[in-house]
Amino acid sequence: MSLTYLKEAVDANDTEKLIRYVRLHFGDGDEDAGKKEIDKAWIEALKLLLEVPATEREFIEQTIKEKDAETLAHLYFRLHFYFVARSNEWIHDGKI
Amino acid sequence: MEKSNEEKQLRPGLWATVNERYPGSMITKTDFIPLAKLIKPLAESRLSFVSTSGVQLRGTLPFDTAHPIGDYTFRAVPSNSKTSDLEIHQLKYPTAGAERDLNVIYPIERMQELAAEKIIGELAPNFYSFIGYNMDAERLERTLAETIADAVEAEKPDVVLLAPA
Amino acid sequence: MQRVIEKRGIPTVSVSVALDVTLHIKPPRAVFLPFMMGHLFGVPFHKNLQREIILTALSRIEQAKQSGDVYFFPKTWAQARKEGKEVESNLEAAD
Repeated sequence: MSLTYLKEAVDANDTEKLIRYVRLHFGDGDEDAGKKEIDKAWIEALKLLLEVPATEREFIEQTIKEKDAETLAHLYFRLHFYFVARSNEWIHDGKI
Repeated sequence: MEKSNEEKQLRPGLWATVNERYPGSMITKTDFIPLAKLIKPLAESRLSFVSTSGVQLRGTLPFDTAHPIGDYTFRAVPSNSKTSDLEIHQLKYPTAGAERDLNVIYPIERMQELAAEKIIGELAPNFYSFIGYNMDAERLERTLAETIADAVEAEKPDVVLLAPA
Repeated sequence: MQRVIEKRGIPTVSVSVALDVTLHIKPPRAVFLPFMMGHLFGVPFHKNLQREIILTALSRIEQAKQSGDVYFFPKTWAQARKEGKEVESNLEAAD
């Protein structure tokens, strides 16, 4: 957006504007689709953990401890796309 | 100017729609840039190509389509690349046609042929790609646009063709 | 981007399927095609159309008389697709 628009929303704590932006990003410009995409990613992640599989907990804790917040935020966005891709319901036109 | 329906763009109101969803992201200019002249015939000219379709060499860092504010980097694509050397990383336009024939979005083979046939003099050593989805128009103009223009200019093209997605 | 390059003295032309965006951006020279996004240069395997679009765009370097010129490419998306299908069936027949 213009960054000004988003920065003003942060300053005003206008959470509706900010989450709308996230939904638009995930939903290809469709806010409702974006909401569903967010849910889909979380559902896919949940499904993977139902059987309490062995996971690399040390890696997870180490990553959070060592990496800067910006990288973790970027990873968070990237993981969204990873999980929606696993759902086999890919709504985007191209590929990540 | 009246145009028949068939001559109108397929997705009407694109600028307004995108600008409504992402206020301030769409550029409006109020002035025109004076035209530069082509100093040689096309058959003697060097052509460069700049694309925002997200086409890049396989094995280079994929364009970042996850980032919510966009990707402000660019890639050089050697103009003698084969289409099998190239791949697309973007989420914002239908790639079904390009997956079958990359030339519909990135006509590298056609440009190579035109240069081989001497209809165009030659191709610049590299073409340049960046991503059209970026939400910080000011950052784009301030940094990336000048950096890409530097790279394009350094290869001394006589003419530049640009294509979005 | 295009305007930045033109300012450096290198003539430029762009192709576009979004006329409204083009009119806002005011590039020095543009060719508008009423085609689908992702299909700036036409349809798969239709080499002649892809070439024609490139050459039409390049011809605008000399033909455009003032900055902001937009040339309307004289082919509809329906025509392009129809021709593309014929090209593809000829290719298949040749196999």
